[in-house]
Amino acid sequence: MNQGVVLIARNNTEIDYIKQAIFLAKRVRKYLDLPTSLVTDNVDYLYNTYKNSVDVFDKIIQVDNDKKYSYKKYYDGIFAKKQLEFKNSNRSSVYDLSPYDETLLLDTDFVVSNDILNECFVQQKDLLLYKDAFDLSGWRDKNEFTFISEIGPTFYWATCIFFRKTELNKTFFDLVSHIQEYYPHYRNLYKLNTNVFRNDHAFSIAIHIMNGYTNNNFAGTMPGTMYYCTDKDVLIDLKDDNFLFLIQKRNESNEYTPLRIKGSNVHVINKYSLNRIIDNG
Amino acid sequence: MDERLEKALDFSNYMITLDNTKRVLKEQYQDDLLYFCNGGQFTVNPGLVSFCQSLLALGQEETVLIDDNDIPIQVEDLKVFASEMVNVYSKAANKYITEYNKLKTNRTVKGIIEV
Repeated sequence: MNQGVVLIARNNTEIDYIKQAIFLAKRVRKYLDLPTSLVTDNVDYLYNTYKNSVDVFDKIIQVDNDKKYSYKKYYDGIFAKKQLEFKNSNRSSVYDLSPYDETLLLDTDFVVSNDILNECFVQQKDLLLYKDAFDLSGWRDKNEFTFISEIGPTFYWATCIFFRKTELNKTFFDLVSHIQEYYPHYRNLYKLNTNVFRNDHAFSIAIHIMNGYTNNNFAGTMPGTMYYCTDKDVLIDLKDDNFLFLIQKRNESNEYTPLRIKGSNVHVINKYSLNRIIDNG
Repeated sequence: MDERLEKALDFSNYMITLDNTKRVLKEQYQDDLLYFCNGGQFTVNPGLVSFCQSLLALGQEETVLIDDNDIPIQVEDLKVFASEMVNVYSKAANKYITEYNKLKTNRTVKGIIEV
């Protein structure tokens, strides 16, 4: 069984996801000792801008720029935000795109800092996702990350997914594609309160359906904890596995509190701050 | 700013940072308690350790345990399993207390984040 990590990077007008993918692939090699393949719609940009880093990838997989994207606000801490394209339509295709029998699919802003994800590959479950995650602020309302809506099933994070290529998982990913295609219908059915397509929601709905429309254990739980901060928080320093964040303060619109965390995997949703850290690294 | 208020706000900021850091340490301790065996994931806890020790005391050398994902896992060498769980627990708890004690000795925000 060959094993590896797959990253999807599709740049928008401001956020360089390909840069993040190179950064993450180096960390995957360091902490997990696994090969990384890149799925991107802009291979030319990769070779033109990062020609000395291309060899960090095991395989580079070109996908079409399908123009199927929505727009959402990207914050850079409390004070700055921009409305940008959100190109997240390829996740359900990863089953077919992945060159590996056993794949760990990661968001490019998921900063790997330990080896616990290697334990996915020895687990009996063929599909693993996080359904709980640890908010570094400690005070934010986590309801939107507990259930997908007020009537909805359990929320699963599509940030980090482990899967084996099995017939059942093929059915599962095909179902996610179907949900994506008919998203307005499923958005109404599950009373989702957002117009923006979210992979978290599509995967959560698919798991709910595969579970027989109940909460069951079709998907197992990823090992360890996924820590996250939102894009209202700012990553200000990262040396190896040692992060320093400014976390938005409770009941304050314009203040932060510092927080240091070492040796844990963190989903850094503020892409601007992550890219600054990569640039200064 | 009134000096009394300024001092109180300094302490308030310190408490927020301390509390957040303690929360993270506790969660990391939970992560450190994970033990993987035969395709199963077990969160080591005193109950599980005691149960395994009881089985060993009754002369059992192997058993079946239900892991964190509700999957039954065959434990073929219970003695090794129990011993490794104790090691995982000791390592996690020692790391936790070391980091916690470092925090206790720092009375400023700067001190906490430089630990």
